[in-house]
Amino acid sequence: MSTPTQEPRTALATLRELPQNVWNSIFRNPLPSTDLERASTSFTNFFLHIHPVKVNRNTLRPAYTMGLGLIATFLFVILVFTGVLLMFYYVPSTTQAYDRMLDLRGTVAFGIFLRNMHRWSAHGMVAIVFLHMCRVFFTGGYKKPREFNWVLGVLLLLVTLFLSFTGYLLPWDQLAFWAITVGTSIAGYAPLIGKQMQFVLLGDTTVGQEALLRFYVLHVAVLPSVLVLLMAIHFWRIRKDGGLSRPEKAASPAPDAGVVKLKKIYGLQGFVRGPFTKLGNVPDDSVYSWPNLLMAELFVFVLTISLILVVSLAFNAPLEQPVNVMHPPNPAKAPWYFLGLQELVSYSAFWGGIGIPGLMVAVLFLVPYIDRTTHGVGKWFAKERLLANTIFLTMVILNIIFIVIGTFFRGPNWTFVSPF
Amino acid sequence: MRLPLAIASLVVLIVHGVVFRNQFFHEWERHQAAYYEQARSMSKNDRERVELEARAPRIEQVIVTSFGDTRVDRCTTCHMGADDPRFAGHAEPLKAHPYSEATGDVQRNGRWERRHKFSDFGCTVCHDGQGRGLDTFYSHGEDEFWPEPLLGYVTQPNWRKDFGPKLKGREYMEANCAQCHTQEDFAGTPHVNRGRKLFYAMNCYGCHKIDGMSEGTLGPDLTEAGKKFKVDYLWESIVEPRANLATSFMPDFHLNQADVESLVIFLKSRRGVNFAETSLDRYKAHVANVAVVIPPGTAGEKAGEQLLGDRACTACHKLGDRDGGIAPDLSYEGLIRDDAWLGDHFLNPRSRVPDSIMPAFRFPADDFQKLSAYLESLKTPPAAADARTTFTNLCARCHGEKGDGNGKVAWYIDPSPRDFTKQGFLASKPRTRFIASIQEGVGGTSMPPWKRILKDDQISGVLDYVVQDFAKEPFKELKARNIPDENPVASSPESIAHGERMFLLRCTGCHGRKADGKGPNSLDILPHPRNFRNHWFVESVPDRRLFESIQYGVQGTAMPSWIDTFTPNDVGDIVNFIRSLQNARK
Amino acid sequence: MKVAPRSHDKQLLTEDAQMPRRRLLTWLSSFGLFASVILAAVSDWLFFKPRVTYGPNARFAIGKPDDFPPGTRIARDVERVCIVREGNKIAAISTTCTHLGCIVGIADTGFACPCHGSHYDQDGNVTGGPAPKPLPWFQVTLAPNGDIVIDKNSSVDPGTYLTV
Repeated sequence: MSTPTQEPRTALATLRELPQNVWNSIFRNPLPSTDLERASTSFTNFFLHIHPVKVNRNTLRPAYTMGLGLIATFLFVILVFTGVLLMFYYVPSTTQAYDRMLDLRGTVAFGIFLRNMHRWSAHGMVAIVFLHMCRVFFTGGYKKPREFNWVLGVLLLLVTLFLSFTGYLLPWDQLAFWAITVGTSIAGYAPLIGKQMQFVLLGDTTVGQEALLRFYVLHVAVLPSVLVLLMAIHFWRIRKDGGLSRPEKAASPAPDAGVVKLKKIYGLQGFVRGPFTKLGNVPDDSVYSWPNLLMAELFVFVLTISLILVVSLAFNAPLEQPVNVMHPPNPAKAPWYFLGLQELVSYSAFWGGIGIPGLMVAVLFLVPYIDRTTHGVGKWFAKERLLANTIFLTMVILNIIFIVIGTFFRGPNWTFVSPF
Repeated sequence: MRLPLAIASLVVLIVHGVVFRNQFFHEWERHQAAYYEQARSMSKNDRERVELEARAPRIEQVIVTSFGDTRVDRCTTCHMGADDPRFAGHAEPLKAHPYSEATGDVQRNGRWERRHKFSDFGCTVCHDGQGRGLDTFYSHGEDEFWPEPLLGYVTQPNWRKDFGPKLKGREYMEANCAQCHTQEDFAGTPHVNRGRKLFYAMNCYGCHKIDGMSEGTLGPDLTEAGKKFKVDYLWESIVEPRANLATSFMPDFHLNQADVESLVIFLKSRRGVNFAETSLDRYKAHVANVAVVIPPGTAGEKAGEQLLGDRACTACHKLGDRDGGIAPDLSYEGLIRDDAWLGDHFLNPRSRVPDSIMPAFRFPADDFQKLSAYLESLKTPPAAADARTTFTNLCARCHGEKGDGNGKVAWYIDPSPRDFTKQGFLASKPRTRFIASIQEGVGGTSMPPWKRILKDDQISGVLDYVVQDFAKEPFKELKARNIPDENPVASSPESIAHGERMFLLRCTGCHGRKADGKGPNSLDILPHPRNFRNHWFVESVPDRRLFESIQYGVQGTAMPSWIDTFTPNDVGDIVNFIRSLQNARK
Repeated sequence: MKVAPRSHDKQLLTEDAQMPRRRLLTWLSSFGLFASVILAAVSDWLFFKPRVTYGPNARFAIGKPDDFPPGTRIARDVERVCIVREGNKIAAISTTCTHLGCIVGIADTGFACPCHGSHYDQDGNVTGGPAPKPLPWFQVTLAPNGDIVIDKNSSVDPGTYLTV
């Protein structure tokens, strides 16, 4: 476009054009209507920079990923948002925390709803990241070149669990206090470093004001930062690995549901595998991120938040009696994701609390380095991976069984009770 | 995909709308609006009306710092008319809080003045409940997780239904009056006062400690019972002591409802804190070894009699026309026990009856002497009567009307009174043994010596009565059993060690690892397995009986015969081991 | 014969025919989400606005009229108010300096602020110093139970008294 000849501009003209100029300075590119524009969204927008220009059609298949990773991310976003809001009223003091929870429930506008959202999103996120891990395993998504991303994922799982654990203490009611007492006692069983670790974690020998403060700082500052950092690398790695795992040979093209028809194919920006841009041939079964990936993400987001909203409307987060350090509830149960551990711990403190879980986590980290085969990637329960899938599924089911036992079948003094 | 997206978006919108709406139609706003409307209609002039109209609904709260932890009481958000005398006749929640002289309110210039101003006291100090709550469920403490529901007004859903009506009533609030008004006979807390008197009169003080009031150690410390427990738990602990702890030996005192209510209110007032006293006062009370302060009686035996009454011994024992129904009958104590026995027993009941549940009272030595002297003076035997009447009057209290060991006080006695319907037991022992038991008593148990009360023919008659009416079969000729009269195995460290090993191998399931009769099976067995640390008992029993019991078992009890397991030498070692336990005790 | 396209059989419909439905759904989604965002924003604003604060109450009772005999002029520092009674008329004048918020003291001629030298007369009008506005008078009412209630959230014109 040629530059118009400079005319003396009146102040009035400048003022009239102000809104348009402001807008244009922020949004410098039009809403995409051509393929070129669609392709360039990944380079012209800060937030869309995270997307590749094109994604493999398989990636967008709900039946493949069920959007679990996305759901986990969105739950995290919801958690951060509601968490920060709650921080405006919560005080991490043993004398004030419970009263503040009462105020959030009773007097703060929407306090009870935001707290519910926070709590159910937290439980949801723990469950979803676990399911996401299962999905990645069962579709062989940890194999070369995605080994390190799997390791990052396991780290993310641990940080998520730790986030949930540190947050669990903050209401400072009987449920919170004794669950964390049980949980940190398990940590004390680690050999050599256990007691030190427990002392540093709690800031004292027992759960008290120091522990509350430390858990609060971990929960609102340290762990979210770590999580965001790991997530960023995790997403970066997805891009560098060429996107999500998919079958070697493309399946017959999926139906066109929700996919924008391509009028031209641009080889300008292909998939970026490795650190360098690739030009030239672009696989046929790929679609533009704008708008397909974006729509998929929006859809998952709306679905997630609608579910969280409904659940938060229907169920209130628990708030039990104020802390009474002399009177543990009977039974005193850890948060649900640790109940499997607590069940094991009732058999052997070391093996149940440190030995077996430690072993399981170690194995998880090493999965991609133990299984060096390259077949069976990109589809669920590939026959070639029967052994691996069976082992993993068994561990998952055992884990769930122990959690179920710990939740429903254990009563006072940890004796067996019937839940019916 | 668009359809689900649209649906989900609409769900999101609807939920937002519902939540938004919920936040704007609070219960309390309705109550406030009702208050303002009615207050407006009652205003005396326009100025007042204008002022009222200008007031928007908002959360009203009183912050109270003078009574322990900061309290934030928002009760007046709904109870807007609490301090407005014009609303005296309204329904709750707008009803004005009543004025009364009982709460110290005075009338001045024709209008009431409140003694306990809301701005100073708030509401929860007197009423309990949850100050920070803003709807009925939470603020009244109906939530089972709230430790302090409204006293006397609210029962929580997990409370026992049959207790519900008994736990309601304005008098329960006296427990909170007593947080400041701690005087013993404060006019405003009649139920607390009554409960305090019952605490002494029913001998609760003997087992339970309350700082500044009593020193008992057998039961839980009740100094902060009101702070730790809700009224339903306190009620249940009194009427059903074993509801929460199956092994509790707290007696069932068969109190009527009014007594239980007074005791519950009294216990609820025990919060371990007294806002009216200084920390120094509290410290002094805590360290002072406060004995039970009950004025002593006159000198001599009369003093003992007075003490017995004042110290509430008949809350458990029987004497004269008073009977607690829990402990033995003291009416003939002078004919049963001597000074030495009484002296030891008073200082520590377990020094004479090792499994007794009687508390060791910490009275001054002088009191014990007076009590002993009085009991020793009870030397009038009962009128001679036939065997059945004698049994009913003297034996049935423990052994039961039907001789089945289920007398009124049987549950509280350890070892349990013998069950005479166990024909097998009676038939396997020589008659002489039973005569001896009745005459001399059974050492270390609650079976007293009756020889100074019953003559030989009376004893014989009672025994026949027992055999005929309870065991229902006459004595049979006993088969000769090959039992040594004395332990043939000499006592030596090796013998004792071997006996201990045998014991630990076979006997601990019932008799316990410490041979005290408290093995894991003992909970289900009646009569209880023998406590071998009861040295009064073990020393009164010859080797022969120990041999017989081990080798042939004890019919009518759970003790089996071990003749096929232990050789006679083994048995001798075990007997040596058991005997060695008696020396260890000394 | 032209058969009207069956709307549930998507494949028979041309892309153009699907557009109205698509547009409707898109519109519904956008409306739903946009309206939710608005509602959420409003809710969050309301969330932030505290409905209770934990400081002293702005509306409080100070006692009965008899506690303040005629001629009283007494400053209550905690509540930052000066109770004035002339005859049977009671007023409450703020003792917070309108300059920068210090507590003014009672002086012979009225009030004086120790911080920057503002002076006020008996009725709180500024007579000297940097104070920009006169001391506000607070609303004084008689509660139904006979207490004098001062509401610091409501200012009244100077010279407005409660007559008891």
